[in-house]
Amino acid sequence: MNQASIPSEDNLDSPPFDLMQVPVLGPLFRWRYARPFLQIPLLLISVAMILHGLFGPSLAPKNLATTLSWLHFRGILVLVLLCTGNFFCLACPFMLVRQVARRFSRPRFTWPRGLRNKWLSVALFVLILFTYELFDLWSSPWWTAWLIIGYFLSALVVDGLFKHASFCKFVCPIGQFNFVASTLSPFEVKVRDQDVCTRCLTKDCIRGRHDATSDLVVIRGCELALFQPRKVGNMDCTFCLDCIHACPHDNVGILSRLPGRELLDDSLRSGIGYFSRRKDLAALAIVFTFGALLNAFGMVSPVYAVENWLGRMLHVSHEAPVLALIFAAFLILEPILLLGSAAWLTLAWGRVQRAFVPLVVRYSYGLVPIGFGMWLAHYSFHFLTGLYTIIPVTQNAFLSIGWPVLGEPRWTSTGLPANTVQVIEIGFLILGFAGSLAVTHGLAEEDSPAKPLRAFIPWAVVCAVLFSASLWLIFQPMEMRATLMSG
Amino acid sequence: MVDFQIEPQPVRVGPVVISIALTDADNHPVTGAQIAVEADMSHAGMSPVLAQANEVQPAHYETHLPLGMAGDWVIVLHGTLPNGEKIEQQFDVRNVRPN
Repeated sequence: MNQASIPSEDNLDSPPFDLMQVPVLGPLFRWRYARPFLQIPLLLISVAMILHGLFGPSLAPKNLATTLSWLHFRGILVLVLLCTGNFFCLACPFMLVRQVARRFSRPRFTWPRGLRNKWLSVALFVLILFTYELFDLWSSPWWTAWLIIGYFLSALVVDGLFKHASFCKFVCPIGQFNFVASTLSPFEVKVRDQDVCTRCLTKDCIRGRHDATSDLVVIRGCELALFQPRKVGNMDCTFCLDCIHACPHDNVGILSRLPGRELLDDSLRSGIGYFSRRKDLAALAIVFTFGALLNAFGMVSPVYAVENWLGRMLHVSHEAPVLALIFAAFLILEPILLLGSAAWLTLAWGRVQRAFVPLVVRYSYGLVPIGFGMWLAHYSFHFLTGLYTIIPVTQNAFLSIGWPVLGEPRWTSTGLPANTVQVIEIGFLILGFAGSLAVTHGLAEEDSPAKPLRAFIPWAVVCAVLFSASLWLIFQPMEMRATLMSG
Repeated sequence: MVDFQIEPQPVRVGPVVISIALTDADNHPVTGAQIAVEADMSHAGMSPVLAQANEVQPAHYETHLPLGMAGDWVIVLHGTLPNGEKIEQQFDVRNVRPN
C-alpha cells in the first residue's frame, strides 16, 4: 500500500471544538473582567456560608455552610470537571480577595525553591481528608465556616508574601484535586496554531502584556509558569484566562480533546517537566485515587466495625490514632502493595526496560481515572440525593434574618431517589475503570511493544481490584455519623 | 423540664417510639402542650422526619418515628405550652445501628 494513503492519527482527528467560538461564552471569556464577574457570585455565596455557619442553625442539614460545601459545591465541582474543565479555579473566590489585597500590598518574596513541588500540597490534601473524618466537618456548620475562612486567610497570607500564584500551584488542596481531575476533562486551554507562537516575539502569554510607554504589566502572563506553546494538558492550569487575554494574536483557545490522553503523554511540559520524573505528582495521583476510596469508606457501616476492632486491639478510645492507622493502610500500605507488586510483575514478566520507581511513578497516573470515578460516584450521590435541600435551607436562612421573601421552608424537598442515583454511580465507576484500563494499556504498549499484554495485565489486575473495592463500597449501607468510634 | 426517652435500645433503623414527660420549674406535670418532633441526620442532604406527639397520659407525650438510615440522629422537640410559652430542645441519638 502506498504510504501516503495511510491516514495519520492527526489526520483522523477532527479539528478541536473551541469554547471561545461559542456565542456568549467566547465574548464572556475574552472580556477582561470575566474572572471577577464569575468570582463575585461565589464570593457572595462564600460570605453567606461563613455567616450562616457561624451564626445560623447548628444542625448541618439546616445550614448553608454544610449543605452548600458538602453537597452542592463538591457535587457540581466534579461534574463540571467531568463535563468541561477546571472552571471552578477560574471562579475561585479566594483569588478575588487576594487580587484585591495585592492592589494594596505587593508580594516581595519568591516561593522557596525547596517547596516548588507538590509535597506540601499532598500533605495538606491528606490533612484535609484526615480532619474531615476526625472533626466530622460534614456535621458541623461552625467548623465548616472556619475551614472556608482558613482557605481565605491562607490564600491571602501565601499570595500576600509570595509572588505569582504560589498558593494555587504549591499549596491549595482543592486546586490540586482540580488539577488531577482535570486531566480527564474534555477541554484544555491551548494554543490554536503553533506556527503563530513560533513567529511570536513578545511571548506575552507568559511574560504578560506591557504598556508601551511605562513598561508596566497591564495584562498578566501565566502566574503558574505554564508557557502556552509548550504547555501539555491541564495539570497546574487554573483556567484563569490570563494567557487568553495576554496573547496579542488571539491564538489561545479552550479546545476540546480526548479526556485522559494527557496521562499517556510523557513529553516535556512547561512549568511541570516530565510526568515520569515527578515523584511528588505521582504521590498526588496516588492520594487522589486511594483517597477517593478512603473518603467513601469513611461513610459506610464497615468502617465502624474496623475502628472499634482497632480501638480494642490497641487499647485506645481516642479516634485520632485509629484513624491515622486506617489512613496509613489506605494511602501508604495499599498503594505500596498494589503498585509495588504490579511494577515488580511488569518488570519480571513484561521485560520492561525501566527502573522500579520510575515505573511505579509512570503507571500511578493510569489509576487517576478510577479514582475520579469514585469521587464522582461519592460526591454525585450526596449531591443528587440532596439536590433540592438547598431550597428549604435557603428559605430558612432568609426566614432567620426576618425576611421571609422565599416563604416557609419545605423540609420535605430532598432529591433523586437513592436507587436511581446508584445506577449513575455505577456508570461513573465503569467509566473510571474503562479509563484506567485504557491509560495503563497505552503505557504498556509504549513500554513493551512486542508483548504489551504482559506489561498490561498486572496493572489491569490493580484496576480490577480498585474497581471491585469501589463497587463494594457503593453497595454498603451508608451511615451518616458524626462520631466514628462508638461507646 | 423535658424527660426524653427513645425505644428500642439500642436504637436501630426502623420505627422508634419517642416518649416525652413534661414538668415545669416546680416539677409539676405540664398537660395540654403541643409538641412537634423532628428527627434530623448529622449530615446535610437528608430529609428530616416530622411527627406530632400525642398526650397518652397526663404530661406524658408519645410519638412514632421511622428512622431511615444508620448513623447519628438529632431529635428536636418544638413545643408550645398551654400558657403560650415556646420551648425547643435537642437530643442526640448517636450510633443508630443498621437493621
